[in-house]
Amino acid sequence: MPRNDTIVYMKDIVKVYPDGTVALRGVDFEVKKGEIHGLLGENGAGKTTLMKILSGLLRPTSGEIYIRGRKVHFKSASEALKHGIGMVHQHLALVPAFTAYENIILGLPGKVIDRKKIEELMETTGLKIPLDAKVEDLPFGVRQRIEILKMLYRNVDILILDEPTTNLTPIETKELFETLRNLKKQGKTIIFITHKLREVLEVTDRVTVLRRGRVVGVVETSKATPEMLAKMMVGREVVFRIEKKPARPGEPVLVVKDLWVRSDLGGWAVKGVSFAVYSGEIFGIAGVEGNGQSELVEAITGLRRVEKGQVILMGRDVTNKPPSELYRMGLSHIPEDRQKLGLVLDMTVAENSVLGIHRLKKFIGKLLNMKWKNINVHAKKIIERFEIVAPGVRAPARSLSGGNQQKLVVGRELSKTPVVIVAAQPTRGLDVAATEYIRKILIKMRDEGKAVLLVSADLDEVLQLSDRVAIMYEGEFMGIAKPEELTEEQIGLMMGGYHMDQLKNTSSNRKVLEAS
Amino acid sequence: MTEELVMILDILRGTSYAMTPLILAAVGEIVAERAGIVNIGLEGIMLLSGFMAVVFAEMAMNPWIGVLAGIGMGALIGLIHGYITAYLKGDHIISGLGINLFALGTVAFGIEAVWGVRGYYTPPLEAKVPIIPGIEISPLFIVMILITIGTYYLLYKTSIGLKIRAVGENPEAADVVGVNVELTQLLSAVYGAALAGLAGAFLSIDWLAAITKELPAGRGFIALALVNFANWNPILALGGGALFGFFWTLAEWIKNMAAIKAIIPVTLMNTIPYIATIAVVAGLIGRSRPPAHVGRPYKRE
Repeated sequence: MPRNDTIVYMKDIVKVYPDGTVALRGVDFEVKKGEIHGLLGENGAGKTTLMKILSGLLRPTSGEIYIRGRKVHFKSASEALKHGIGMVHQHLALVPAFTAYENIILGLPGKVIDRKKIEELMETTGLKIPLDAKVEDLPFGVRQRIEILKMLYRNVDILILDEPTTNLTPIETKELFETLRNLKKQGKTIIFITHKLREVLEVTDRVTVLRRGRVVGVVETSKATPEMLAKMMVGREVVFRIEKKPARPGEPVLVVKDLWVRSDLGGWAVKGVSFAVYSGEIFGIAGVEGNGQSELVEAITGLRRVEKGQVILMGRDVTNKPPSELYRMGLSHIPEDRQKLGLVLDMTVAENSVLGIHRLKKFIGKLLNMKWKNINVHAKKIIERFEIVAPGVRAPARSLSGGNQQKLVVGRELSKTPVVIVAAQPTRGLDVAATEYIRKILIKMRDEGKAVLLVSADLDEVLQLSDRVAIMYEGEFMGIAKPEELTEEQIGLMMGGYHMDQLKNTSSNRKVLEAS
Repeated sequence: MTEELVMILDILRGTSYAMTPLILAAVGEIVAERAGIVNIGLEGIMLLSGFMAVVFAEMAMNPWIGVLAGIGMGALIGLIHGYITAYLKGDHIISGLGINLFALGTVAFGIEAVWGVRGYYTPPLEAKVPIIPGIEISPLFIVMILITIGTYYLLYKTSIGLKIRAVGENPEAADVVGVNVELTQLLSAVYGAALAGLAGAFLSIDWLAAITKELPAGRGFIALALVNFANWNPILALGGGALFGFFWTLAEWIKNMAAIKAIIPVTLMNTIPYIATIAVVAGLIGRSRPPAHVGRPYKRE
């Protein structure tokens, strides 16, 4: 129950999105005045949703919010701002074409605008920024400082930071933490959303751990250990087990050597990753999203430039080769965003079923005419084989449910008779039945001797399907192991940034962790 | 005065007229597009406002009433366009297209209905905006210069301008800090259309002193090109408009020279200003930088 020093109290918050996804299942969340409060959890735990509700961007389906003991209903972010609550998003809400100064004063009435005060604020908080530089010319760390300053200038005293260190360099991260401690000294309350254990332990006073839309626990950071937090964050009931024969791996089919890939922002997203996927095995990549998995997949499938290193497909160097060539060699790609990369939603099921293989003689005639008969037969085969519920081959892909759309993508990719299958988040957003189906297909492919690279943010999935699993953190592999050889605790620690060498023996190396 | 000097002054005077409607419409559209609203209906607004200006100026026998009527007509259409695009999240191009088609039909019919003539009507002298004596240019030319400078000041030196530009660049960021995105867009669309309306009135009861359904003769579209040419900056629009106006006048002047008239058909010569527009704007493609969120409806999550 809330006490006197409680500044934020959220009671029994439930959030169901319009598409039926339940993000929060009755969350109680309490923050004390003047503390740095960590909000820890995996992807989809509901951290960001909860904070979007607190900052007025989303409305809860049910539940109550009290700020300084008073009940509030926010209709917009600007209303929350008036109550002193400001959120710094991962994608910063700045106008790139404006200067830092213009961004800070945007929307304020003229009489409040005082450049001297902003400069004073920069002095007292230590948030140094070039006021007259254009935001688009500034590195991410500085942009973030502008955003924080913008909030502070609006008298925000409850500052929410959503994964603020994701795009920061280690030095910038250190500076950010310095700032946060400084702000705390000035009486500000800070809520820090993260999945990084090290950061939680370093900078917060208390932590609330969320898992699948529920609060798992609230702990004082001084009494917390990384193992404890990792287990709280990851530990979960197992939904179902998949039957799977022992793998009989053969030749290495896909080999990646010291791969370096840049992110959209220009920094390194993948930092020297090496691994091999053998025929007849599923190689899984686990980790919290945004740690370079997407960029890695794009580099392997020819969609993103490899800056350094090699991708070798069946003994041939295919680094930076165009996707079409890779596909011809037998690479299939089930992309992470089926609606953007997997399908053309307004085209028909039949048209989508031959995307990428439409140039085959089977589907195209001498006058570049589409052979609709063959295409329709092909589409019908996929529909039958993958039990896709579709109104017909001429129905637009858009009219299919998410699960059936994904089956269509999978069906098309597998109809290419691939040697290697790269599957990124193959079951995201699917219901239980479709999920199970897709997982079984992947195992079947492996049993047929194909090499499967599986990238998924769903830990259950990666651990159950993979024969070997790598855990990725900030563009590097923290370790590669057989899933059964790892404890949940160890996986949680690696997802939070600890290298496997550091925790070979978890019970006895607590000292090592504390020292690092 | 020598003959050459007269000739040069003539061309400059002509330029001052030719540039005025282009710049008025372009400066207005710059404000609208800075707020994210594209209005390709400038041509239609000019036509409708030109028509209304003649009707009201003649009725009151006062050109200034006509000018106000033109501005009012533009503002009204801006209000509709702004409501459709900002509040109903409608497609900017379709709405603009609708304005153009509506104007064509309405004015062709209106000329016949009001004056009982087919296609062309000249208002009486009393309904025409007088020339500033001495320098012999239109008072609306001066007004245009003042509006351009004022708009520049509004966009770049005031907090209102900051809001307008923020809404066109990143409406989400503006929304979060409490800027009313839709209202800002609506008012900007009204401002833009009102200036296009003023341009229309200038055509019908000042410069050309006539109303036909071909009154704007593509000037609305050239104004759109000018917005791009000026990189969404009113001051550059002033310079660019002067350049376009100069070409226009020069072409008019050349085609009336007896020697050239004999060789090149007048209809071909009439295309010069349009070709010049394409040439200038084509050279600029890719170099200008539109507001990041222009022409797209802003929808909250």
